[in-house]
Formats: sequence, structure tokens, C-alpha cells
Amino acid sequence: MSALAAAGEAWQRVSPRYLWADLIARLVPGVVVTGGLCAVPIASGIGWLWALPAVSAVIAVLVLALTPKRVRSIGYRLREDDLVFRRGIMWHRVVAVPYGRMQLVDVSRGPLSRAFGLAELRFITAAAVTGVVIPGLPEAEAETLRDRLVALAESRRAAL
Amino acid sequence: MSEEPQGAAPEESGWHRLHPATPLLRGGIVGVAIAGFLVVQFRDFIVTALVGSAVGQQPHEDPLVRWLAANTWPAIGILVALLAAIVGLGWLSWRLHAYRVTDELVEEREGVLWRRHRRGRLDRVQGVDVVRPLVPRLFGLARLEISMAGSDGRIRLSYLASERADALRAEILTAASARRRRQAPATAPTAAAAPARGLADRISARANELLAPELDQTVAPESLVEMHPGRLVGATALRLGHVLVLVLAGVVVAAVTRPFLLIVLIPVVIGIYGLAGREVIRSLRYSIASTPDGIRVGFGLLSTANETLPPGRVHAIELQQPLLWRPFGWWRVRINRAASPGRDGAAGQSGATLLPVGTAEEVRRVVGLILPDWTEPADFTTSPVRGRWIRWWSWRRNGFALDARTVAIRRGRLWRRLTLVPLARVQSVAVEDGPLTRAMRLARVDVHTVAGVVRAHVGALDAGDAVAMWCDVEHRTLGAMA
Repeated sequence: MSALAAAGEAWQRVSPRYLWADLIARLVPGVVVTGGLCAVPIASGIGWLWALPAVSAVIAVLVLALTPKRVRSIGYRLREDDLVFRRGIMWHRVVAVPYGRMQLVDVSRGPLSRAFGLAELRFITAAAVTGVVIPGLPEAEAETLRDRLVALAESRRAAL
Repeated sequence: MSEEPQGAAPEESGWHRLHPATPLLRGGIVGVAIAGFLVVQFRDFIVTALVGSAVGQQPHEDPLVRWLAANTWPAIGILVALLAAIVGLGWLSWRLHAYRVTDELVEEREGVLWRRHRRGRLDRVQGVDVVRPLVPRLFGLARLEISMAGSDGRIRLSYLASERADALRAEILTAASARRRRQAPATAPTAAAAPARGLADRISARANELLAPELDQTVAPESLVEMHPGRLVGATALRLGHVLVLVLAGVVVAAVTRPFLLIVLIPVVIGIYGLAGREVIRSLRYSIASTPDGIRVGFGLLSTANETLPPGRVHAIELQQPLLWRPFGWWRVRINRAASPGRDGAAGQSGATLLPVGTAEEVRRVVGLILPDWTEPADFTTSPVRGRWIRWWSWRRNGFALDARTVAIRRGRLWRRLTLVPLARVQSVAVEDGPLTRAMRLARVDVHTVAGVVRAHVGALDAGDAVAMWCDVEHRTLGAMA
């Protein structure tokens, strides 16, 4: 897959602010689960049960440590006739979608991304497995991108 | 919503009603069941009422029966009113249920309290089925199902007179297959000829319909395959054979050691046999043919169905050969299409099986219907030797081949599969790897099509080959779309 990354122009990255949004989004469940698991040894009084929150904390820290790399791995590229999207550090995935296959584009904002002024763009085709979801776009950029994709799809419309 | 008059004379604006016998057939079974229930419940009461209160009268213990005995006439009045209400409601719902086919749309509206109006564009029609369940079929009626793309995209018109259903199908398909030639003269005579028939003619027409093979006689296409019942039974038995053998072995062991387990196992065996039997019966009298409007598949012995796929509606094809079919050279053909599969199997075995079992030659002919210029590729790009660790048996076979219009993916050593996706229908392409496969310089390519039973992906490819395939498929898809 390194061959893909090297070929041609650079990938468009998501906003650096998305890193913070993603860190918080992953920190919260990690803290909640670890805190909840702390109750188990406290309530039961069995010492070795502290292993449960410890494991949970280690997993949470690992996830957080990998987050910057994962966020950096998300990229997209608007080529002449198609959109290429990639993500993943352990499991790489690179998807190419012709613009003409677009059924709809969806821009959504959760409360957390709204706080950071970010939005998520979904490119939906007739195949459920396409799964192109670009997170962490600045709101204005997401809307420009959406309009651009709609225009591109319109000019390259094809039947299902 | 439409502003056409809601009840009176819908024919004016092109709206048609269903066959008048519809409420009877739809509600008939429920009605018979309710009547049967009532008769069983009040058998004693009815008998006494009819025979007369001859035997010694002690007050009945059931208060309802006592009340009925005291107020027989009002009770009969209520019953008659109820029946009238049911009949009236059925009649009303029949009056309000109408359909219309225009140049661009097919529309249906129905409902007494909750009105529903759906319309579909004819150029988005994914298939048209004519289904004839046994009872309506005896009355010369049929159900027309028009499937549109989407999860709930089905318009069901039940029931129509058989000839009307066939004519309507022809009309819709003409529009759907984008051949805009008008067929008005072709459909008119059938409608005109119908009323002038006597009772005897009608009966013989019914009989002819029952005996005729499930294909439209007017187009007279010839079936490409001939389904021998023996082959069908054999193929089903062999496909489900290992399951049956396992379960039967389980039954025998259970019978010897723990007899009470039979209570659990016997229903399982019956279930599997029932499933297999139903599949066989449904596929009897199977026919598949090419018509100018698309591929027509007909099947069924007592209840029959007959579906038509307009050209270009097949998104993926898979040829399968279970291990035990290999000595006989049989294959099975399944397809993906954008339509939602019919719930009650109107479209055959969950709408996905195009050919339940056929020889290689027959399968070639069927594939030729869908992909006329596809030829079996001479060589596939297969997994490298190191792919052996992931595809133990199949690494020599596991691979892909591309031509100008089609991606072919070959998989499986024991259970052979060949997946074909027309490039013009590919939605997107992905190339993927994981930690383990990356270490082995292997990758996987996933060709995305509309959801269905066929998944077009191939793993354990050399990473370079996979990226090349990904690029190629995407380029050729763009080319095929243009």
C-alpha cells in the first residue's frame, strides 16, 4: 500500500483539531470503563481483581497513544473522475469511488465535533460496504467539499 | 399526492382497480377460519337452537351462552351487521385500491383509513414478477410484483386477471428496458377478447393455463435449460447431503445412547427435509429464456411464478460448485440485484438463485444471457506461493482476471466459486491489508456491488498484484460508466 501513498500528489488530510476531538472521544470511554472496573475490587475486596482496571487502563493508554498516527492515516484525494479515501494503521484500507456512483452525500456534526467546529462527511453509494466516511473536516470545508462532490456527481451521472 | 377523484370511476384518469374477486381471495381464508372457530365454539348452542329445546332445560353454566339463548334474534342481528361491515370494508378497500401505469411512472394507492400512495419510475424498475399462488391460479388470477431499487421497493398488485397481468407486465417492461417502442396494438386485443367468452370456454382456458409451461406464450421464447426432476433432487440432496448425513448420524447415536434426545433431533431432520423438498418443488418446471424485454425465469408446479429481469439489472453473478456436485459437472448460478428480494419467495429461492442447478454448458448459456461478450479468461492472476499459508487448499486457484467489461474472481478449491461483476455496475473498489497479511506482502481486493448474496472479493493476493487490480478495476469502471 506504500506504493499507493507514493504515487502522484499528496493526500488531503483531516483537520489537526480532529486529533483533539478524537482523543477526547476515546479518553472518555476509557476513563469511564476503568473507573467502573475499579469498583469491582473495592466492592469485593479481592486484591487480584485490580488486574481488571489495570488491563483496561493499559488498553486505553495504547488506544490514545495510537490516535495521532491513526488520525494522520486518514486521507482523501479528489482525482479527475473519482474519490480515493484511505484510513487505518494496522488494517489499511484504500477505497476508490467514481463520482458518478454517488447516491447522496451526508454532512453531520456531533456535539463534540461541533465544539471543535468540525463535521463528518459520508459518501453513500448503492453498495452498503463502500463505507467512505471522512471525519474531522472543518465545517466550511465540509460544505464546500459536499457541494463540489454533488456538482461532480451531477456531471458524471450514471445509472445505478 | 394526487388530486384525482378518490372513489368514483378511477378509470377516467388511467387508474384501474384490481380484480373484483380480490377481497374474497385475500380475506377468504380469514373468513373461513373465523366461521369455523365460531361454529366449533357454539356447536352445542346451534344444535339446540336448530333441533329445538327438546331435552330437559337446565340453565347453561356459561353466561355468554345463557345470554345468547335469551336474545337469539338480537345476536343474529349483530352477526349479520358484523358480516355486512366486513364485506363492506372489503368492498371499500377494493374500491380504493387502484393502480396506474403512465409513460414514466407506475403508481399504486390503497388504504381505507391510512391512505398510501406509492409511485416508482419505470426506468428504475429492477424486475417484474407474475406470481400465481395455487388458489388464485385456479380462478385465473395472478399477482403482479414490480420491484424497484431499495429495501422496501415493491409494488404488489394482487390480484389481476391473468391476461391483464401479462399485458401489464409487457407494458412496464417495454418502458423499463428503455426500448421506447409503443405496444398499444399488441396489448389491446387481449383485453378486448376476454369478455366475449362463454363458461365452457372459460373453463377450458383455465385448464390450458394450468397446463401451459410458465412462460409467456406470446413471446414464445425457448427455455435454455431443461430441468430434470432427477437432477434437481440429486443436486439438492448432494448439496445438503453432508448436513443430512451428520444429522442422521446424530439421530442414530442418540437413539442408541440417549433416546430422549430424539425429541430434539427429529424435528430438525423433518425441518431440513422440508426445506429441501420445498426447494425442489419450487424449482420443478423451471425455465429460463431470453426475451426482448430481458431474462425471463419461470418455475413452480402448483403455485407458479414468473419473473423478468430487464437488461442491465444484474450487478453480480456467482457460479458455485459444491464438492459433491463435481463428479456430475453441475453448477449453481446466483445473482445480486438492486431490488429487495421478495419476502415470500416470489422471486424463487430468496430472489437470488438464477439457476438452481445446471450443467457447465447450460450455465455458459445463462451467463451468456447476462454478459453476452464474456468468455472464460484463459489465465487468472493467482496468489503467490506464500499465499498458501492463508489459502491452504485454494492458493493455486484463488485469483482474478479482468477483461474490458467484467471482473472475474475465482475462489475455493473444495467449494468452487466464480464471481463475475460487470464493470458498469461496480460501485467502488477497496484494497485492504492487515498486520499479518502485510508482513507477508499480501493484500485483499474488495469489489463493491449492491448488497446481496454474492460478495466479490479476493484475498491473499500479492500486494503489487492487488494494487494493480485495484487501479485497473477502477479505471475500467470509469471507462464502462462513460
